[in-house]
Amino acid sequence: MAKELFFIIIGSIFVNNFVFSRFLGNCPFLGVSNKTETAIGMGIATTFVLTMTAVAAYFIQNYVLAPFGLEPFLQIVSFILVIASLVQLVEMVILKVSPALYNAFGIFLPLITTNCIVMAVALLIPMNNYNLIKSIALGLGAGLGFTLALALMSGIREDLEFADVPEALRGPAIVFITAGLLSLIFLGFTGLVPLA
Amino acid sequence: MNQYAKMIIVLMIISIASGAVLALSYEVTNPKIQEQARQKLEESVLKVIPGAAKMEVVQKEDMTIYLGLDEQGNKKGIAFKAVGSGFNGAIELMVGYNPSEGKLTGVEILSMSETPGLGAKIKEEAFTNQFNGKSVEDKFIAKEDVQAISGATISSTAVAKAVKTSLDNVMKIYPVGGDF
Amino acid sequence: MQLFKDFINGIWNENPIFRMVIGICSALAVTTAANNGIAMGMALTFVLTCSSILISLLRNIIPAKVRIPCYIIVVATFTTVVDLFMKAYFPSLYEVMGIFIPLIVVNCIVLARAEAFASKVGPVRATADALGMGLGYTWAITLISMIRELMGAGTLFGYHIMGEGFTPWTIMIMPPGAFIVMGILVGLMNMITRKPVE
Repeated sequence: MAKELFFIIIGSIFVNNFVFSRFLGNCPFLGVSNKTETAIGMGIATTFVLTMTAVAAYFIQNYVLAPFGLEPFLQIVSFILVIASLVQLVEMVILKVSPALYNAFGIFLPLITTNCIVMAVALLIPMNNYNLIKSIALGLGAGLGFTLALALMSGIREDLEFADVPEALRGPAIVFITAGLLSLIFLGFTGLVPLA
Repeated sequence: MNQYAKMIIVLMIISIASGAVLALSYEVTNPKIQEQARQKLEESVLKVIPGAAKMEVVQKEDMTIYLGLDEQGNKKGIAFKAVGSGFNGAIELMVGYNPSEGKLTGVEILSMSETPGLGAKIKEEAFTNQFNGKSVEDKFIAKEDVQAISGATISSTAVAKAVKTSLDNVMKIYPVGGDF
Repeated sequence: MQLFKDFINGIWNENPIFRMVIGICSALAVTTAANNGIAMGMALTFVLTCSSILISLLRNIIPAKVRIPCYIIVVATFTTVVDLFMKAYFPSLYEVMGIFIPLIVVNCIVLARAEAFASKVGPVRATADALGMGLGYTWAITLISMIRELMGAGTLFGYHIMGEGFTPWTIMIMPPGAFIVMGILVGLMNMITRKPVE
């Protein structure tokens, strides 16, 4: 069990990184990877929401959708509503509890609803029949993988500002090409997680 | 009208309408979805048991076994599902087996999410056909008696391992040379 | 004229993939074969058009404070409809797209058009805009998938194009290929449409 959890986490951070090999969360990945500081803030906020979503998705799937046979047609609607409300809730709680924390990453929170990593994790849990602990591991791994991707990219982009990039490639184009090279590096992790 | 009451009413109406539309589309598509799934299953069973024209589902010691019968109702072989863990997630296979000869008659990949161009090649007949005629005594080890796809050893190993594991379980119910 | 402008806008000037660079997750993930590109484009166009029309019709009824939840429900409903119908009638395509059909619900293009355009104009203009955006998305991802399929597998729409001697560049249909093709195409688009330097 512990071994399996370890593999889920390592797998979703390195081997199947959600950004570089599953292509999820690309919009915020492009949008907020300008500066390392904001990138890490966004990463942490997303990881937090992801872990909570994983728990919520697990309970909704196994105690509401599956028992009443609603899964095939209400899954998407209920997951997205839960994610949207969860993000709102987190925003309100953080604002009340710690305004300083809110100032640090509150602005990222509304963006998280449309980050497809969150919805994807919610959908992957029933798809893989994960139990509660594995679900949490997946949410956490996905979030850490996303944070790692953002941190790497923002570090490179800070240096890219001083590089002589061809005019047409400035902006998103060079970010995609850099992401392609990073993705190539992540291919090197293939086989890191042995077969269960 | 109170502003909040309006909000709640609008949200409720939209949710109810959404629920109705979804329930309706589900009613319309569900029989077709079930039919597609059944058809896919039957196709794969008939494909891995040569000479089979019909299939019959039997439950044996909490294993689901698919019996392949020809037009006259003679038993041609059995098929069962196997699951392996590949590089990107589960690989589901259908394995055809002839207990009286103790030999595999075919392997078909039902679902997988391996890398296109590499691991996904396990779907191709060039890979799956090598299992035809393999005996229960074979080792099923990739790069030894199973030809691995170059660059996709993990996927190839997963298939070989899944076949071997499920075959071992089935052999307890259907011993070699026995009736089925 | 106005309608034509709305329609063309999404196809070229504000092409969601190449110009606005939004909704790119699916554009990168499913574009391993040209067929997938077209199918994904059609699925998104359907959801986008239906949601835009409905949101435009309801624009005076939905209270501003709850508009986002309302949009989400509308989009999620149409996404589920596409999901169910694809599962029923195109099971093999559905299998390839996997999780990316349900993920249309969080595709930035759909919500962005709902919020920025459909909720402000009448249904006719909303339809023109949605169809333009949908088509713009479709041609963009079809182009990406054609390049990737041709170079990565030597085929186009499943037919062999490159001769026997061609060794496929497998990397093109693997994740890095998606990012690099996308980057080069966005760069090319910038070059074509760049305004002359004064």
